[in-house]
Amino acid sequence: MQVQTITRRVDPHLAIDLYDPEAELLLLHFGPQHPSTHGVFRMDLYLDGEIVVKVVPYVGYLHRAVEKLCEKLTYAQITPVVDKNDYVAPMTNEQAINMAFEALLGIEVPRRARWIRTIFAEMQRIASHLLWLGTFALDMGGALGGGSTVFLHCFRERELILDLFEDVTGARFHYNTHTVGGNRHDIPAGWSAKVKAALDVIASRLPEYASMTLENRIFIERTRGVGILDGELALELGVTGPILRASGVDHDLRRDAPFHAYDEVKVNVVTRSAGDCLARAQVRLGEIEESIRLVRAMIDGIPEGIINAGRPIKQPAQFKIPAGQVYVGIETPRGELGTYVIADGTANAHRLKIRPPSLHALSALPHILPGATVSDAVVILGSLDPIMGEADR
Amino acid sequence: MAVTRRTVDDGSAFEHPLYKTLLNTPGLSVSVAPLDDLLTWGLTNSLWVFPMATSCCGIELMAAAAGRVDLDRMGTIVRGTPRQADVMVVAGTITVKMAPRVKLLWDQMPEPKWCIAMGSCAISGDFYRELYSVVPGVDTFLPVDVYVPGCPPNPEALMHGLLRLQEKVQLQRQGQKVVRDPNPALLAITKPSVPRLCDADRTAEMDAAQEESAATSTASEPRAPLHFDTPAAQAVDPDLQRLFAENGVKDFPREGPALVPAAQHLALARKLKAQGFRQLVSIVASHWPAGRGRKGADAEEPEHFEVAYLVRSVGSGTRVATWAVRLAPGESIASLVPVYAGADWQEREQYDLVGVPFADHPDLRRLMMAENYSGHPLRRDFAADTAAAPWR
Repeated sequence: MQVQTITRRVDPHLAIDLYDPEAELLLLHFGPQHPSTHGVFRMDLYLDGEIVVKVVPYVGYLHRAVEKLCEKLTYAQITPVVDKNDYVAPMTNEQAINMAFEALLGIEVPRRARWIRTIFAEMQRIASHLLWLGTFALDMGGALGGGSTVFLHCFRERELILDLFEDVTGARFHYNTHTVGGNRHDIPAGWSAKVKAALDVIASRLPEYASMTLENRIFIERTRGVGILDGELALELGVTGPILRASGVDHDLRRDAPFHAYDEVKVNVVTRSAGDCLARAQVRLGEIEESIRLVRAMIDGIPEGIINAGRPIKQPAQFKIPAGQVYVGIETPRGELGTYVIADGTANAHRLKIRPPSLHALSALPHILPGATVSDAVVILGSLDPIMGEADR
Repeated sequence: MAVTRRTVDDGSAFEHPLYKTLLNTPGLSVSVAPLDDLLTWGLTNSLWVFPMATSCCGIELMAAAAGRVDLDRMGTIVRGTPRQADVMVVAGTITVKMAPRVKLLWDQMPEPKWCIAMGSCAISGDFYRELYSVVPGVDTFLPVDVYVPGCPPNPEALMHGLLRLQEKVQLQRQGQKVVRDPNPALLAITKPSVPRLCDADRTAEMDAAQEESAATSTASEPRAPLHFDTPAAQAVDPDLQRLFAENGVKDFPREGPALVPAAQHLALARKLKAQGFRQLVSIVASHWPAGRGRKGADAEEPEHFEVAYLVRSVGSGTRVATWAVRLAPGESIASLVPVYAGADWQEREQYDLVGVPFADHPDLRRLMMAENYSGHPLRRDFAADTAAAPWR
């Protein structure tokens, strides 16, 4: 079996009986509990020697019935529930769901709240990508000096951002700080200076990360040319975010369909064309840099004013949304997180569907894993940055 | 110093083979007590953790193992295999599909072993408690020693839990009886069967309060901000209108996406893809029981399904095109897999949760629920707390 080339499409439903009858295939169950599955993800790998012939992924081990719960709860009760979906970037979960309700209600979010939301989103992106880098290095294992060196460095910097969020909301994560119409917590005095100090620390350590990963020969050998995803296939699969941009598709909702205050700042979209694991790492590290630049550019210019369209800042326990349907997609660290709401005029949604970027990213596995070795399978899975809470909901 | 003689026959005491050998060696039994202290000290300060991390709490568990809190200095090292671990930390929600695996991993851990339930999901199921797919607390099938509350608990809270576990291990070693199995009397106090928040019976007062709060809320007449993909925005988009019109769609309702006849929807998808809508965003199936329609309560509506398809154009000025197909119960719809490869999992999910059959799908299996599950949870007539045997 040859390594797949970028132009060749793999049949994800390959009937395993049709494969070379002479080959002695080995069925390897990987997960659902495995340190490298980033949660509870399982795949069955059919192996010919060390080469993966076919992969059958299984999700749903963290299916928490969030969509059913959202139908039962009132709109105001939903925010803390969706926090738990993408537990590495809770800020963006809250934003996506509340923006959908705002769109249905026709509420205009005050400018100050939009700026704060943008800053939160970008800081969350830094924290999320740092966590990804740390766990990705762990996946590589011994090749990177035990792997835990990068992990410890990344978590040290991630704590800085969590501390800043804790200053505002009182929580390390699961913030529950966004409401329909604006934000719940205004930024405290002196917060901007703290943000700038933290960003200085993170920015000063980015070259260190690069030297440990992108400039590390072992890292490059393990990622270059591994898990190549063709851009056109990525689009068809609905793969979004850094994975799509690493496959050469210049698409970022922050720039192309601006939400929050992204229409007032210029977002430089980081893209790579190789489509392999190295390109995904380069895009994510580039996005950390870009997010730092964005926050630095915005932190001093936060406009004065109210932070919630409802005055005083208070959200009723229940409110009704007129019958209607809306889809709102925003760019989270993992890609397009969408919310499709079907409102029927009561205080509960008739149907609420969350479009998780992680599930779409995982659906690429049957297409890109065949042809790779078992050790590469772990790297490829890690490079997709799946969060199972969001994929399974 | 008063030396208390400890016997290995005490059920709660720790039976280490070395300890047993030493105790049974003639002439050595006198020196066992100090040795026992040494073993206790060693044991309590090297509790190796097996992270049964499923969700958010797993991230805080990682943060606890990282630099700032640094569990390693307590001798608590995270091991990736149950066979090398003393403590299972259940960090996160355990679903019905996952629970047998957790039990299997627990059984693979060698004795003596302890269990920490970290976070409210592991303790009680949190707000997922009453839902069809979630186990209401791991103590329904594991003997939990320490509960660490929080959502998620701080790394410091987990550290506190580990310190309490060390105390507990010490007490056990000293022969003191420590309850390990879930105490039914305690459970009755800590886990009352409260009325369910989400399924509370409606009263007239609640309805009145709801009306009042709706009147005072910031709700206003619906209008479509430009950058949101509402049906109304789609209706005023000339390009989309022309594309849809070519496929026999002339009506653009404000309350939902344009309805396309089931026979034409595959052709429309192909045409949209050729026109630049190359990205599949999502497929959303919804169930409408009799008497409910897009505009709310509608006595004339029979039971039906709607499947909405969302595709996106790429790059600058990206837009979402949405269309929907209406199906009667039992009707199937042509699969979109030949056009968009990503429809594979999306259709499996909607088939699993809503029960819409997709014709000619290459691999129509359940995606979220176990393959032997029956029922479709996201149908409106499916009760959220439908029992998930054997967990409740």
